[in-house]
Amino acid sequence: MRVTDRMMFDNANINITNGRNRVQVAMQEASSGMRVTHPGDDPASAGLIVRSRQVLARLEAIGANAIRTNDELSIADNTLQNMGNVVTRVRELTVQMGNDSYSATDRLNAGVEVDALTRQVVMLMNTDVNGRYLFAGTNDGSPPFDAAGNYTGDTNVRQIEVAPGLLENASVRGDVAVKGAGGGVDLFAILQTLKTALNANDGAGIRGALPQLDTATRQVTDALASVGSMMNSFDVARALADAGHDDATKSMAHEQEVDTFESATKLALANHALEVALTASANGFRMSLMNKLG
Amino acid sequence: MGDLLAILSQASSSLGAHRAAAATAGQNIANVNTLGYSRQTANLEAMTPADLIANGYIGRGVGLQSITQARDLFLERQMPAAIAARGFSSTESDALAAVSALDPDASGGISAALGAFYAAMRGVSQRPSDSGLRQAALSASQALTRSFNRTAQSLEDARNGVDAQLAGTVDVVNQATTAMADLNKQIRIARANGAEPNDLLDNRRRLQDKITELTGALPVPNSYGDISMALPGGAALVSDDRAATLSVIADPNNGGHMAVQLTRTDGSGPVTIPGANIGGTMGGAIQARDGAMASAVAGLDTLAFDLANTVNGVHSAGFALDGTTGRNLFTVGLSAPGAASTINLDALIAGNPSLLAAASVAGAPGDNRNMLALIATERTALSTGVDAASSLQNVVTGFGGSTQRARSIADQDAGLHAHLSQMRESASGVSIDEEMINMTKAQRAFEAMSKVITAADEMLGTLMQLK
Repeated sequence: MRVTDRMMFDNANINITNGRNRVQVAMQEASSGMRVTHPGDDPASAGLIVRSRQVLARLEAIGANAIRTNDELSIADNTLQNMGNVVTRVRELTVQMGNDSYSATDRLNAGVEVDALTRQVVMLMNTDVNGRYLFAGTNDGSPPFDAAGNYTGDTNVRQIEVAPGLLENASVRGDVAVKGAGGGVDLFAILQTLKTALNANDGAGIRGALPQLDTATRQVTDALASVGSMMNSFDVARALADAGHDDATKSMAHEQEVDTFESATKLALANHALEVALTASANGFRMSLMNKLG
Repeated sequence: MGDLLAILSQASSSLGAHRAAAATAGQNIANVNTLGYSRQTANLEAMTPADLIANGYIGRGVGLQSITQARDLFLERQMPAAIAARGFSSTESDALAAVSALDPDASGGISAALGAFYAAMRGVSQRPSDSGLRQAALSASQALTRSFNRTAQSLEDARNGVDAQLAGTVDVVNQATTAMADLNKQIRIARANGAEPNDLLDNRRRLQDKITELTGALPVPNSYGDISMALPGGAALVSDDRAATLSVIADPNNGGHMAVQLTRTDGSGPVTIPGANIGGTMGGAIQARDGAMASAVAGLDTLAFDLANTVNGVHSAGFALDGTTGRNLFTVGLSAPGAASTINLDALIAGNPSLLAAASVAGAPGDNRNMLALIATERTALSTGVDAASSLQNVVTGFGGSTQRARSIADQDAGLHAHLSQMRESASGVSIDEEMINMTKAQRAFEAMSKVITAADEMLGTLMQLK
């Protein structure tokens, strides 16, 4: 094949341009750490990165929700434990005052304490977090119990996602816990009856409240247990979301990021290739008959 | 005596021939860097008739028979298609690679915005009456619509850039076709004078290559030496010594993007040329604009339209904090085309976070059931048959695939073109070494002929001095 001067120069041009191009790409990869900056670099990876981003955002949101929900549930848990203490105190009083050795005055005084405990129950059941009443169902904009213990909330239970598309209860109904909705006892009615019996110095009536108080205690304990299991669910949800988040981050990094060693090697190779191209071109240019003819 | 004078005349014509050979070598060296120049060779030939003296013919020296170009027609026949293909694929590839709107890690991209939208809605589902979370959800919704707008706009900008490029290229093509038609005429006149106009031929081939690269038009030689240029669909850009004129016009059927029109060589028209019938860089630009870029825009439009309607369907069934219902979250047109550019957040909701319909009944501020349903639209199959994230994934992968395909074809075409150019250069290019040798060769012959003249002169002198 005839080799002309122009071929030599064109070749040098192409080789040096290609070499510089390779160095530029390798440098960009090495300095940014990114393998896929344009969808055309790796279409499948680019699509997966876009998708992973959604998964990341989803898992982050579910994790954050689980944390917030658990914060609220732990307040509900505290409240219900206090409720348990109140009911226990009422039961103690009932056992004590059921003993006929107590006088009518003693029982009147105990009635005053039962009143106070009733107000305490109302207060506890009207616990709110930033204006949202925890035991009001979904009608949580206003206190669910009035002073007489009437329930004004609704019968819904709030649900929160624990995994995409999977819902878990995140609240307990105040009417179920203390009003006996759905087959239980009404704590307020029991307290009212107890107070009437105490005021009337009716020993048998006082003792008669005991079995119902036991049922009320169980109701509160049940509510406490369900809050506990919800908290557990959201703990698990959060852990799963965190783990999923880590996995998604890792797989996204696989798709998008360069292997440091590989990119360093690539850069070194590209630099070397460019240097060779430059040297070879310069040498080629020197070889000419022009330099030999006198 | 007569024979001695014959030697002188033989020497003088031979000197002229060698001078022509040296001049040709000089012309070659001078044009060593001229694009499209083909090496010329001075062909010398022993002159006839010769004198018959006694029993032998004595030759009459050497003369310039012709100056020819070194051209390999086999290679040149393959060249135009390679030039057109390279122009097409490299332009398409460059145009697509310049679009950054769909980069997977683009800040403010749809991917991030879509994830943030559903994440913010999840926040509201946890505390439906929290005004801070509602405000965050509105901001995320607004960001989603803006990122649809911005991405669609930047794809549109890229398509408009192609239009500007087309308008500029058309002028260059028109100049080249006019010049080529003119050269066809000049070459015909020069040939009528009896010699090959080598340099005009080179000029014409240069113009021909340029027109091929820009439009994909291929050369069609005719029997009397003219070269016409025909677009892939058959429309003539150059017909003998007449040129057609290209122009661009906004095409209402293609969103106002430019279509190419042709005023025929006979002055009739203009007629619109379908994009598929244009090759070269113009064809590549049109392919990028109406192919991958248009698909990406259409994909985003469909996604924006479907997503808005799906979310609206759920949102309008829910109840806001003030108990109102039936309100759409997004405003979007009646059909998909243009949806990504025009999607917006409902103006009333944008100014009042409490209008976000989280509840499925009125008067229950803690009710998040509608919000949960809205979050579930994340997994609803849209008109594309897959959910929003997958639809977006498909748009990105589709665009990336087109870019990658264009890039690899461009590499391949560039390789083929470079190879053919090398081969053509090898056949037709100028080698300085070679020309220096030719020059020296001519110089030596010239010197030798000078000696012949001196010798003949001395012989004449000897003859004259005879007494």
